[in-house]
Amino acid sequence: MRKFAALALGLSMVAAACGGGGPGGGGGGTDLSAQAPGKDVKPAAKIVWWHAMTGLNSDAVNKMVAAYNKSQNNITVEAVFQGTYDDLLSKLNTALASNAAPAIAQVFDIGQRYMYDSKEVLPMQAFIDRDKFDTSDFEPAVLNYYKYQDKLQSMPFNASSSILYYNKDAFKEVGLDPEKPPTTFSEVTEYAKKLTKKDASGQTVRYGFGPSIYGWFFEQWMAVSGQLYADNGNGRDDRATKVVYNNAAGKAILDWWKAGLDGGYFNNPGIDNPGSQNAFNAGKNAMYVESTAQMRNHINNAKFPVGTGFFPRPDNKPKDGGNIIGGASLYIMKSRPPAEQQAAWEFVKYAMSPLTQAQWQADTGYYPIRKSAYNEAPSKEWATKYPQFLTAVNQIREAPQNRMTNGAVLGVFSQARARTQKMIESVLLGQATSQQALDAAVAEVNDAIDKYNKANK
Amino acid sequence: MRWTRRDLRSLGVGLVYLAPALFIFVVFVFIPLGRTFYLSLFHTRVTGATSSFAGLDHYIDLLTSETFRSGLTATGLFAVYTVPIGIILGLVLAVLLNQRLRAINVFRTMMASTIAISAAVGALIWLLLFSPSLGLLNYVLSLVGIRGPEWLIQPTIAIIAVSITTIWLTLGTNIIVLLAGLQGIPEEIYEAARLDGARGARMFTRITVPMVSPSLFFLLVVDTIAVLQAFTQIHLLTRGGPVDATRTIVYGIYLDAFQNFQFGFASAESVVLFTLVLVLTIIQFRFVERRVHYQ
Amino acid sequence: MSTVAMQQRTQRLPYRKAGTYLTLALVSVLVAFPLLLALSYSFMSESEIATFPPPVLPARPTFDNYGRVLATIPIGRYLLNSFVVSSVVVIGQLVTASLAAYAFSFLVFRGRQLLFFLFLSTLMIPWEATIIPNYMTIRSLGWLDTYQGLAVPFLATAFGTFLLRQAFLQIPRELWDAARIDGATTFRFLRDVVIPLSRPALGTVAIYGFLSTYNQYFWPLLVTNQTLMRTTQVGIAQLRFEETLRWGLVMAGVIMVAAPTLALLVLGQRQLIRGLTAGAVKG
Repeated sequence: MRKFAALALGLSMVAAACGGGGPGGGGGGTDLSAQAPGKDVKPAAKIVWWHAMTGLNSDAVNKMVAAYNKSQNNITVEAVFQGTYDDLLSKLNTALASNAAPAIAQVFDIGQRYMYDSKEVLPMQAFIDRDKFDTSDFEPAVLNYYKYQDKLQSMPFNASSSILYYNKDAFKEVGLDPEKPPTTFSEVTEYAKKLTKKDASGQTVRYGFGPSIYGWFFEQWMAVSGQLYADNGNGRDDRATKVVYNNAAGKAILDWWKAGLDGGYFNNPGIDNPGSQNAFNAGKNAMYVESTAQMRNHINNAKFPVGTGFFPRPDNKPKDGGNIIGGASLYIMKSRPPAEQQAAWEFVKYAMSPLTQAQWQADTGYYPIRKSAYNEAPSKEWATKYPQFLTAVNQIREAPQNRMTNGAVLGVFSQARARTQKMIESVLLGQATSQQALDAAVAEVNDAIDKYNKANK
Repeated sequence: MRWTRRDLRSLGVGLVYLAPALFIFVVFVFIPLGRTFYLSLFHTRVTGATSSFAGLDHYIDLLTSETFRSGLTATGLFAVYTVPIGIILGLVLAVLLNQRLRAINVFRTMMASTIAISAAVGALIWLLLFSPSLGLLNYVLSLVGIRGPEWLIQPTIAIIAVSITTIWLTLGTNIIVLLAGLQGIPEEIYEAARLDGARGARMFTRITVPMVSPSLFFLLVVDTIAVLQAFTQIHLLTRGGPVDATRTIVYGIYLDAFQNFQFGFASAESVVLFTLVLVLTIIQFRFVERRVHYQ
Repeated sequence: MSTVAMQQRTQRLPYRKAGTYLTLALVSVLVAFPLLLALSYSFMSESEIATFPPPVLPARPTFDNYGRVLATIPIGRYLLNSFVVSSVVVIGQLVTASLAAYAFSFLVFRGRQLLFFLFLSTLMIPWEATIIPNYMTIRSLGWLDTYQGLAVPFLATAFGTFLLRQAFLQIPRELWDAARIDGATTFRFLRDVVIPLSRPALGTVAIYGFLSTYNQYFWPLLVTNQTLMRTTQVGIAQLRFEETLRWGLVMAGVIMVAAPTLALLVLGQRQLIRGLTAGAVKG
């Protein structure tokens, strides 16, 4: 009997430790028609902003915050580094359950649906509507990415896209026009064949093309193929119930990639993105695809003139196709007092001002969210220094705006991305045919979506 | 068997000595473990809040899943590649370092230096070494005419690459523990053995190994547990790939808990891993500790 | 190896001694190579690191990376925090682990085996399973952004307890019997005999406890929200670009963070040797 009592005590302690069950319980996600605090609410004197920017970018964050704090006397923003994007989201998740969230959190692109389902967000739209904040000169592609049911849950902050980088010297060496990068799959293959160089012993000393295995690239390739990644308008018209990339377009991407590798003119650096960047700088891969955030790294560290081109697309260049933006956005957290939310909005407005955006571009290499930023001095100086940068912006501006190019919204996006990487690996290693690999990946991701949707009704 | 007064008294004395550590463990380990077990029986929302009772669903899903089976294989391979080699290498180096020589401390520090390096930092350095086109490792191999493998790209090689990194990371601890063990061997024992005519290899197997067997056993248990819990080097080198070749159970738990936010399922995985390691450790105590020679 | 005999033999054989040194030097460099490479990279520019064949020594050594580390993160403060937290953890672990290991080696009581396994089982629980509830505990105690929040969950160590148990089991039982006959109390035997005889093992526990606390990343990140309470590994993470890895910068940070621990290792080893001598004399 005594044993029983002890056991019961133990269990009750455990139950207490599990306690509460955290926020939310009912249905739905972020209430997109939530109201912002009234204009008369006095902003809090101090708010905290969690960010995931490292190295030079974290310096840029601190610089922006210092400038804001100096620009007025009412609000002090404290920017706190919280690890990688993944770390930040884990920490935010933990903090949410115990009301220790910051006023503003920077969350990466694919965390969108997670934030929605957490029901912990005060949508940015509430403030935009209240103050009639003008977003008409914002890059449409960026706005569309973060809009859900035509409303902004968060404010886009740092935006990038994926482009083709190439070695102009290598182009000249093999008689290719260094001002004309390849634009289609076949052209990339054809150029890569020419650019591949072997030494006397038959070892390849330079590959034509070396994309790392990164799920983001596959998503981009689906989008430039004018294809959906997930159903229900990429999860934008309604919650996605399955992913749909196991079609001819998905197969074409994998087959093209695999053929290049088998032919010996593509290189496979694995999932190691920094490794593939270094390989490009060292002249080991004459072309590769990466984020625009790499621009400065390559221009500063490569010993050859660096060219940039549009992200390669299928040979028929589908009219509906275009690139999806990447990066992160700022969320105002619902659990904070109205005064803090008010202060957070004040800071977000500052961060969106043209001059701040131009300075941010110059400090980091992300492109400005709004077009008027390009008229500011820091942006102009940057454009003169890195003319290649226009490629990224043009690419985004030329993309038709539709569900395919808006990009997918998925609760299990991290998992789906990891699963596509596994899919690509299994094809490149010859463990499965492209169709088998696509089907297996889709089946597994769909299973995860099912479970997620059931648990997060 | 009934508890006598004396039993209770001696238990009481024992508990007094154990109390400080036990208190910390109860608060920071056992209660959380209870929560994990509880969560493993529920479906959870992204925030970790429970949404509906799942019963044993997660466990059934887990034990029938292909990913979990391949995770077991990866974990097993990883342990087999890492633990024995790490301990043997540690013993060889510790014996080499257990000499009274001028400046021996310099060598000891250099060889044990990996203990001072965090797994994150160590893994970053190895990432650079393994890089297929630029890495120093393959460059050095190519100088002697060997074409190095694509370390982190071929599944069978990737698990070896992660193992090499892990052996390197644990080498420092292994050397220190074994050095402490070797230095605990009284000199008279060697003197006596030498008088009996023991030399070299015979001295090593007959005297050194049995005398450090408590340290060896300690490392066997601790290194096995550590390998089954290894996370950082996998996260930085391979993220569980290629094609799940390095997705050990504990890495799978990380992905499910902190990337996929499926706390219920991840909790079930944690409970299963815990049970596995516990059984393994009990086996080690049952069958290996018998051979350990305590003075 | 017998030290006296070894000395005599090595004096007799100078060639053998040279050979021993050569072997030691070669193996040491091999083992420490990744670390030495990190040191070398910390003096290279990014473009030099990206050249092929891979450079081993910097052609034009530069201190730029160190300068940039100092400009990017308050490394002095991080080092201080890490030292305070690690030292507190070491002291706590030495106390709790010696007491527990003593119970598991010299005291005889029913349930000892079971309790020992209970201790060991704490090593087997995946960190993912405990980290969130522990965060909740620390938060409800109001210990976020405090040294106690960083240190208290680690004041007990199954690893250290197990290691000390192994060491204590090596102490001849005759000493225990003799002490009992002399009328020494249980605690006095621990304090006067067991602890002094186990200095090498205690040293190992201390070094290990220090370094594993010093090298923590996720826990300090979770329970601190102020930059001023952050620790070294969080600082290193901040130097790492998510997208572009700047090797030179990261390695400079690594060296600055690892230098004090390496120094500690040198000192700690001397302690191990001294501990041994003391033990040998008394034993």
